[in-house]
Amino acid sequence: MSNNWQTVIGIEIHAQVNSKSKLFSSSSTGFGSAPNTQVSLVDAAMPGMLPVINKFCIEQAVKSGLGLNAKINSKSIFDRKNYFYQDLPQGYQISQFKDPIVGEGSIEIDLGDEKKVIGIERLHLEQDAGKSLHDQDPNLTFVDLNRSGIALMEIVSKPDMASPEEAVAYVKKVRTILRYLDTCDGNMEQGSLRADVNISVRKEGDELGTRCEIKNLNSFKHINAAINFEVDRQIKVIEGGDKIKQETRLYDVTLDKTRSMRSKEDAHDYRYFPDPDLLPLKLNQSWIDDLKKDLPELPDEKKARFVEQYKISDYDAEVLTSDRLTSEYFEKVAKNRNVKLAVSWVASELFAILNKLNLTIEKSPVNSDQLGDLIDEIENGIISNRAAKEVFEEMCESSKSVKEIINDKGLVQISDTTEIEKFIDQVLIENPDNVQKYKEGKTKLLGFFIGEVMKATKGKANPGLLNQIVKKKLDN
Amino acid sequence: MIENLTIEQTSKLLNDKQASALEITDIYLKKINTAKKLNCFITVSEDKAIEAAKETDERISKNKKIGFLDGVPLAYKDLFCTNDILTTASSKILSNFTPTYESTVTANCKDQGAVVLGKLNCDEFAMGSTNKTSFYGPVINPWKSIDNEDELVPGGSSGGSAASVAADLCVASLGTDTGGSIRQPASFTGLVGLKPTYGRVSRWGTVAFASSLDQAGPIAKTVEDAAILLQTISGHDNKDSTSSIRSNENFYSNLDSSVKGLKIGVPKEYMSDDLPEEIQKFWNEGKKILTENGAELTEVSLPSTKTALPAYYIIAPAEASSNLSRYDGVKYGLRVKEKSLTEMYESTRSEGFGDEVKRRIMIGTYVLSSGYYDAYYIKAQKIRSIIKNDFDNVFKNVDALFTPATPNTAFPINREETDPVQNYLNDIFTVPANLAGLPAISIPFGLDNSGLPIGMQLITNSFQEQMLLNISKNLQDTINFNNRPTQWWK
Amino acid sequence: MEFDKNSTLKLAKLARLSLNAEQLNSLEKDLTSIVSFIDQLKEINTEKIDPTSNSLDQDLILREDVAENKLSNEDLLKNVPESELGFFVVPKVIE
Ligand SMILES: [Mg+2]
Ligand SMILES: [Zn+2]
Repeated sequence: MSNNWQTVIGIEIHAQVNSKSKLFSSSSTGFGSAPNTQVSLVDAAMPGMLPVINKFCIEQAVKSGLGLNAKINSKSIFDRKNYFYQDLPQGYQISQFKDPIVGEGSIEIDLGDEKKVIGIERLHLEQDAGKSLHDQDPNLTFVDLNRSGIALMEIVSKPDMASPEEAVAYVKKVRTILRYLDTCDGNMEQGSLRADVNISVRKEGDELGTRCEIKNLNSFKHINAAINFEVDRQIKVIEGGDKIKQETRLYDVTLDKTRSMRSKEDAHDYRYFPDPDLLPLKLNQSWIDDLKKDLPELPDEKKARFVEQYKISDYDAEVLTSDRLTSEYFEKVAKNRNVKLAVSWVASELFAILNKLNLTIEKSPVNSDQLGDLIDEIENGIISNRAAKEVFEEMCESSKSVKEIINDKGLVQISDTTEIEKFIDQVLIENPDNVQKYKEGKTKLLGFFIGEVMKATKGKANPGLLNQIVKKKLDN
Repeated sequence: MIENLTIEQTSKLLNDKQASALEITDIYLKKINTAKKLNCFITVSEDKAIEAAKETDERISKNKKIGFLDGVPLAYKDLFCTNDILTTASSKILSNFTPTYESTVTANCKDQGAVVLGKLNCDEFAMGSTNKTSFYGPVINPWKSIDNEDELVPGGSSGGSAASVAADLCVASLGTDTGGSIRQPASFTGLVGLKPTYGRVSRWGTVAFASSLDQAGPIAKTVEDAAILLQTISGHDNKDSTSSIRSNENFYSNLDSSVKGLKIGVPKEYMSDDLPEEIQKFWNEGKKILTENGAELTEVSLPSTKTALPAYYIIAPAEASSNLSRYDGVKYGLRVKEKSLTEMYESTRSEGFGDEVKRRIMIGTYVLSSGYYDAYYIKAQKIRSIIKNDFDNVFKNVDALFTPATPNTAFPINREETDPVQNYLNDIFTVPANLAGLPAISIPFGLDNSGLPIGMQLITNSFQEQMLLNISKNLQDTINFNNRPTQWWK
Repeated sequence: MEFDKNSTLKLAKLARLSLNAEQLNSLEKDLTSIVSFIDQLKEINTEKIDPTSNSLDQDLILREDVAENKLSNEDLLKNVPESELGFFVVPKVIE
């Protein structure tokens, strides 16, 4: 790839509002029900059916807007976006076009050492479409309308990203903010958060190139891979003397390629116009102010506080606040305990096991109280750090308490001086040569004696005490 | 005895036990059977009617009658979804559609014990003013000219709703009015037709034509009956976001026919040399009656009047083109089998929709399409603001407006039509009230020289239906129009 | 605006209507006539006017977030032209 190519990326995130019922009907939004069992007369666009908006969805959109540092519009309009598709029962999607509920804002993303501000163009509310299954029958497409009408927040960024890394960092950050606000569960596997990525390339200093939109990317890995492929493709096309055609593309996971979407080939004219079934939505400033007051601490603020309050590194604070539940978990563990231990146990040991088990922190096999108990045992000198790891492993598999595990495994540290002395004396007696060499000045042999005692105690000797006593005995 | 009954009279007969609901229903079902020529009904719901009538009789025997409509045989325009009764909107595309739900409007009537005789023919998706666009064929006006044997249009789109009441095939009916579709056919058939204030009546469960204009309303033989039906069907409905939150009113018991001291405006823009002399004559007569009865008549100006019709023929098709997108052969209704989705859509919609519906879908698609949206759609919505503002200004000075309902009387079904715009002109006096969302009524005034009914229109400010009904009653009681068509169809 | 074959076909495509030659012909004529009728509005000055899309002057009614599923799959599909295993079905769509 030539060096002077620039990539320009803008992203539309579709985030499902975590409401119980749909945006304009009272059907349930639950995931995983039998096909077409969460579809009301309204969702199926039966003749004469009318939309009535969900108040909670409006609140969630406004909260999300505030979390994106964006302007909340006191008046917004619901429009119809007209097109025919089998998963769109009304023949139009109710969305917001000219007057969205949330206007411009911005968020900051972390790129290792540097930070970058990404502009938010808007956030609007709209209906989700149904789901099509193409692999059930050779000649038919099956349509399930359970998703039809679920509330989505479409968050549109400015074309401010220049690399797949920035794009991924942006989507991660938006997801984190929404999860902090508890407006979207961010579950990408279930489709609660999807990204449409708009990509174009240009030579430095040139005008913006023609863009392609890659639709419905539902993992960070796919976002990264799709952008990488698409950037290469576009550069090859241009360098081969051709032009980029503005189009909608799909990312094929198995082939790791993007391809043109056939069904979106016709030129579209969505004929947006205000939905005559809905009156304008007017929001009261004092109501917005109240929501603002009740907003939870957001990731940027929390990160700054962690650095300040716990005196931890920027990196650790970033990791620990990247998810609201993680940050809350950490704070419970760290409360009145050694912060360093808390950081290392949450950020290293716990994360490693969650990763291994492919679990989120909500499903963690060890809760914050249990991990706290474990750290207490370390701090109180009952067990060594090494033994603690063994205990932790057991905790992930059993429901036994920390104390039970320590007792069952006989991992209690030997902190009794007389007992430790017995082991030391035995080692000294068994190694007269090395004692002699030590006394002659080979003090490096201290480690040898400690190691031998540890072996003899099966690692249970309190290392601090052991060190102290061995030294004292040898130096006498 | 059971001939040309009003709601009031039917209720009295039942109360006095002079007839049972079943007897009355039976007579109406028989009449419907002998009037097939008029093509008023798409569906006769005989079993359901008999069942409902029996329930009324049972209530009467236990002295538990629920209201004025209990046991009264009504019929509904086939635009209202009725649970377990075929609902077609007079379109082939819905010719096999049986809802599992009941529109708010008809549910309200049902709750009052009304007996539903069936579903009435209308223009396809309520698009038309002749009832000739129905997939089920035209409705024939029960009225005939004394000059010839021509079959006449009943007006539209609620043509079946008007013709069925005029022919006394039901006691009263419900229609819908988007640009005059209740008032114009009422005028063509010598009946009272009322379009309520936009938002007064829930649109839930009524097949949509143009969402920001559609209102359901009664077609009845008397102002009193219209008042009874209006109060039955109106009121806030939390299933319709455009339903007014105002509480319902008791229009019938609050009827007061005095017009003393009321100011009534006569808009000068409604006068024209093209207006047939006989309509002009009745209009003048109405002004005279109102003055004699104590109202103060003044000429007023609604300067934007002539812009209403073109604005309407942008807004209504625009909304309709979108509202009718749901008829695609996927979820219900007609499907024409094809190999691809697009072909299936195209064949289904081409076969399922008639010519007028197609025309309006095309116009609506055009005025919303990119490059034309501002010039047409936004322009029309601005015109609508001007029209509304004109009315607001006038209603600062007058209580009601008095105009003709239609620019002509019923015309022959086989009148040659080469230009669709010619038919659009039928709505010229009725459309402004729809654009401004105002309540308006058409009341029968007399017969022209050919013996055909002529109606006049009253318009009041938003939610002033009581005033509208009061003035109408005054005119009705003074004029005492009681002509009926000869029953040539029997 | 004069409607010709191309502009009429383009609209028909957007509206998912297929037209035969005769329909196309008469629609061209009708649309031209209707558009010349609505074109009278071009003379009206509407520069400083706000558009009205609904005449009802009222705040948007909001619904509480309560989930209730009253419609069974059977009732949902009661009028369906074609279905399989509780799904709506359409001719194969290739994305
Ligand atoms: Mg998109
Ligand atoms: Zn979207």
